Amino acid sequence: MAGSQDSGPSPTSPAPVLPLFQRSWFAPTVLLAPTLLWLIFFYIAPIALMVWRGLMDTGLQGYIKIFSSDIYLKVFWNTLQISIITTIGCLVLGYPIAFALTVVGRRLQALILVLVTLPYWLDYVVRSYSWIVLLGRRGLINNILVGLGIVDQPLPLLFNLFSVCVGMIQVLLPIMILALFGAMSRIDRRLMLAAEIHGASRWRAFRTVFFPLSLAGVYSACLLIFISALGFFIVPALIGSPRQTMITQSILVLAETLLNWTDAAALSIVLLVATMVLTIIYDRFFNIDRLWGGDQR
Amino acid sequence: MNARIDVWVLGASVVAVLLYLLFPIVVVIGASFNPTTALQFPPSGFSLKWYQEIAGNPDWINAFIVTLEVGAITTLLSLLFGVPAGFALSRYRVKGKTLVTALLLSALVAPHIVRAVSTYLFYVPLGLNNTILGLAIAHSIGGIPFVVINLGASLRSFDPTLERAAVIHGAHPVRAVLTITFPVVAPGIIVGALFAFMQSAQELLISIFVLGTLQMPIAVKLWEGVRVAVDPTLAAASSLLVLAALGFFLLAALARRGAAPAPNA
Repeated sequence: MAGSQDSGPSPTSPAPVLPLFQRSWFAPTVLLAPTLLWLIFFYIAPIALMVWRGLMDTGLQGYIKIFSSDIYLKVFWNTLQISIITTIGCLVLGYPIAFALTVVGRRLQALILVLVTLPYWLDYVVRSYSWIVLLGRRGLINNILVGLGIVDQPLPLLFNLFSVCVGMIQVLLPIMILALFGAMSRIDRRLMLAAEIHGASRWRAFRTVFFPLSLAGVYSACLLIFISALGFFIVPALIGSPRQTMITQSILVLAETLLNWTDAAALSIVLLVATMVLTIIYDRFFNIDRLWGGDQR
Repeated sequence: MNARIDVWVLGASVVAVLLYLLFPIVVVIGASFNPTTALQFPPSGFSLKWYQEIAGNPDWINAFIVTLEVGAITTLLSLLFGVPAGFALSRYRVKGKTLVTALLLSALVAPHIVRAVSTYLFYVPLGLNNTILGLAIAHSIGGIPFVVINLGASLRSFDPTLERAAVIHGAHPVRAVLTITFPVVAPGIIVGALFAFMQSAQELLISIFVLGTLQMPIAVKLWEGVRVAVDPTLAAASSLLVLAALGFFLLAALARRGAAPAPNA
């Protein structure tokens, strides 16, 4: 539990238990057991069976094949590269917003939060497709640039690494902003005030006090975004080129089109292991409980 | 003077990022009213014909119904399993709590393709593929964490002395929870349910694998549609989805406001 290190706004440490159930293992067990069984049966068991079957079918041979194939290595590299760029992009764009959220008034804060979460409700497929309208050869940007005579030829903005990152950052940015905002609201603002009273400029107070204190939140938010980015599929499929193929796309093609379930399962397991290792790191360093600490609604 | 520049730079970057975030919504809603067949923005006129086309097309209506059915069962299952778990996790000192929490929340970051492929293989002997229930069960795994997170947040801000007061005045603890605590945290549960529904409505990969292409929820139909030919019906269909979500969201906000004063039990 994060209780001991929680200096957040809610003073309620572990809520007092109901008298009847005090020091009883009975109530929590009854409440939790069905959920646990449900998750184990419909979430863990399928994945465990897939891993087991993969090992029985091909043993480690399947994995050796995957890791020695140029095509899959290229796909791994794409996935890694796109996820890193997306994470950095989200951080650069998200940090100022999250910071602004901590300094504006309540009303403006609520408004910005609503606007930030609004894109979540738009279907991913259509959302990705909308970038074609902006970035295409006859899209808004190229029309303006050519119309103003800034460039002679329309710029190649679509179906490349650039457009994939533009699309993915748009999808993941709200999560980055919410995560950073949650972490930043735990920082004691009086520390910055103290620095300013002692003669530091506002910028220096930010640089030497606020920014270092926000770094833990930055690392945790980045890891969260990176983990989510690894599994992306709609954006690169719609506004990327084959050169931006990510791992999920390969799995889908293997399973759906080629009906090669062994390779599909093996690739899935590679993706799963990568995600799990990162999640465990996340839990070790940032305490996964934080995620549900009530900072994110 | 210096401070002013800070504020302007910060304000400008907030506006720029918000424009970037909201651009797709504006384009899609704008294009759905476009009278010509191209997905075009800014629209060259105003027409409702793409909405009429959806209303008159049994395929689209069927997609909406499938989405609604899967989403409703998903939400129900998420509440059924998420509410007790959220309550237990935030109220009791449970052994292995970190592990249980990690298991619950891992569903939020587990790659969908992994869940899709493994669920499909798992469902083959169970005969759950190509069934609405099968898909809803799979979606409930992603819905439960939303209910647990939102309920947990509400419980944390709930004043437990209210509940203790009821117990001191002779109410059975279970009754105190049901009549005092639950009405107060209900908005949190509703928001969780809303997220559970929306993640189901937007989920694509598990839907493709489990439901196949015989019955298509909206997300799959949009995906198939984009691959064949893009016309503004796709924009109209997803605009409807955004509108529905906004409507739900307003309802949830109202519920939150309505429940703010202590209920008279």
